[in-house]
Amino acid sequence: MLMFSYLMATGITTGAFYALVALGIVIVYKSTQVVNLAHGELFMVGGMLAYTCYVMAGIPYLPSLILAVAGAFLVGILTERIAYRSVLKHGLASVLVATIGVSFVLKGIGRYIWGGKGDYLAFPPIISPEPLQFGNIMIMSQQLVVLLAGIVVMGALAIFFRRTRAGKWMQATASNPKAAMLCGLRIDRIYMYTFAVGAAVAGAAGVLMAPLTHLYPDVGFVLFIKGMAAAVLGGLTSIPGAVLGGLLLGLAEQLSAGYLHSSIQDVVAFLVIMFALIFLPTGLLGARGLRKV
Amino acid sequence: MSLQALVGNRGFLALLLGALLVLPAFANQYTLFVGNLMLVYIILALGLNILVGFAGQLAFANAAIYGIGAYGTALLQVHLGWSFWAAAPVGAVLAMVIGTSLAFPALRLSGIFLALATLAFAQATQWVLWHWQSVTFGAGGFRVPPPDFGWIPIKPDYGVYFASWAVTLGLLLFAWRIMRSRIGRAFVAMRDAELAAQALGIDLLTYKAMAFALSSFYAGMAGALYSALLGFVSPEGFDLFQMIIQKAMIVVGGLGSVVGSVLGASLLVYVMEVLREFKSTQEIVFGALLITFMVFQPNGLVVFMKRWLPGWEEPLHLADRVEPAAPVLDASLADTTSVEPSASERT
Repeated sequence: MLMFSYLMATGITTGAFYALVALGIVIVYKSTQVVNLAHGELFMVGGMLAYTCYVMAGIPYLPSLILAVAGAFLVGILTERIAYRSVLKHGLASVLVATIGVSFVLKGIGRYIWGGKGDYLAFPPIISPEPLQFGNIMIMSQQLVVLLAGIVVMGALAIFFRRTRAGKWMQATASNPKAAMLCGLRIDRIYMYTFAVGAAVAGAAGVLMAPLTHLYPDVGFVLFIKGMAAAVLGGLTSIPGAVLGGLLLGLAEQLSAGYLHSSIQDVVAFLVIMFALIFLPTGLLGARGLRKV
Repeated sequence: MSLQALVGNRGFLALLLGALLVLPAFANQYTLFVGNLMLVYIILALGLNILVGFAGQLAFANAAIYGIGAYGTALLQVHLGWSFWAAAPVGAVLAMVIGTSLAFPALRLSGIFLALATLAFAQATQWVLWHWQSVTFGAGGFRVPPPDFGWIPIKPDYGVYFASWAVTLGLLLFAWRIMRSRIGRAFVAMRDAELAAQALGIDLLTYKAMAFALSSFYAGMAGALYSALLGFVSPEGFDLFQMIIQKAMIVVGGLGSVVGSVLGASLLVYVMEVLREFKSTQEIVFGALLITFMVFQPNGLVVFMKRWLPGWEEPLHLADRVEPAAPVLDASLADTTSVEPSASERT
């Protein structure tokens, strides 16, 4: 029972983190129908920027977080302007190839600036590294920070989409780009900001998770697959779905690692993607009645 | 045979393969290795182009299938003591069988979803290669004995080179012929408009399975040759970056062009070798090549060849099809009553 509650607690905290990665993917997919394969690398860039500010330049944590998120936002804008905008008109498959090109350019830049293969940058924990005790469950305090920050980001996004004009523009473009254009929205620009917001969310996730994962240039893709699994499980277009998918994936990973074998943990995400796409194409909370694949 | 045919794409292929045939006479050990690598990548690019460029299935599993071919061949030699000549075809067929099984999700999935499912498959394959240690020897890889040439008096690396050359020639001619046959035309019809293809009596399951089978047989064969060329197999050679290299080859050469695959593969092997020491630069260059070609010339170098060289024909090349105008915008126009923008992505 102790093991079970421990696994549940870890599952929920890692799940919250996967949900955060999935959120960025869902935001971009929802409004552009593009899965940004460079999402993981944006995550890596966010983490690396925070490392540069916080560890190397000695800037306090909160400003470093803001700088890193702003940096990721800028990278998002740049990639959209340079790589995606003119490719979008050639069709989705071409954009997909362009995003994977971007992902490797970013990974190469990351490797070039922040170290070679096998170098792990250790990001010091922001608060005390002591684990916290709840009843008889131990939780790393950093995991709790991730959980709380994840909830904050999700709340902020919900407010952004419901209450702000920019959020409503994005939703309008997502549900019907032609009509949005006819209403006078500049959908080019909205796509650009969508990619940028997605990148900023990835960057934020990167900063928050850095103390737990350590940073290396290849970290992005591993987490992209997990975020992707969470997003697909949740239905790819649904923000609550991404959160639910993330939590389920986190729990599934922890439980399979605890009760089956620890190496199974890494393969759960792939299995989830394959099976969700084939047997549950609209995901758990995606739109019903439409087969989208 | 007119003079035009000599400078056209046939002339180019003959020249390149002729040059590769006489290369060993002038080459040192390293040049021979690079030439051999070029042959392996020509096979890989041909296979991937059949699947992506002709049949229009955006799959990301080719590197994994390549790995399965290499591991299959090498493991049969190491564990069961088979000779290379028996193990290579079996490895390639094994890759083909596994690759063809991917066609079944492909019938239900299209576009992005197929890409994601195959990406997940590729990563799962990596995971198996890493963790099934009793069979695959894990992350460190293992050595493969050089092929035995029996009574033929030839050094193993030269032998592997000429074997690769012969296989490449065979597979190249096969791809050339089959892409101009009924099968190739069916692939192109499927790529350009699935519904119309079905209306013309093309059975999508059969032809998608065939595209996956052909492409994974090519990848498996390339893997078998690669294991003999390097004499060493490890999971790292078959990761996502390998996929990007192959993707860049067909995009740079030209999607939906047999000669384009050869052109892209031979150029990019050279780029890869120049940058061998610099992993980060390699990643940046191949990523940037993909972006540049996607932005400026999504149909690849064969467009220029077709424009400048008389007699260079590309009957089934992507450039000839009428591009649908701004599909992203049209997606919702086709289905304005629906709330879901992706509704038009239905298969």
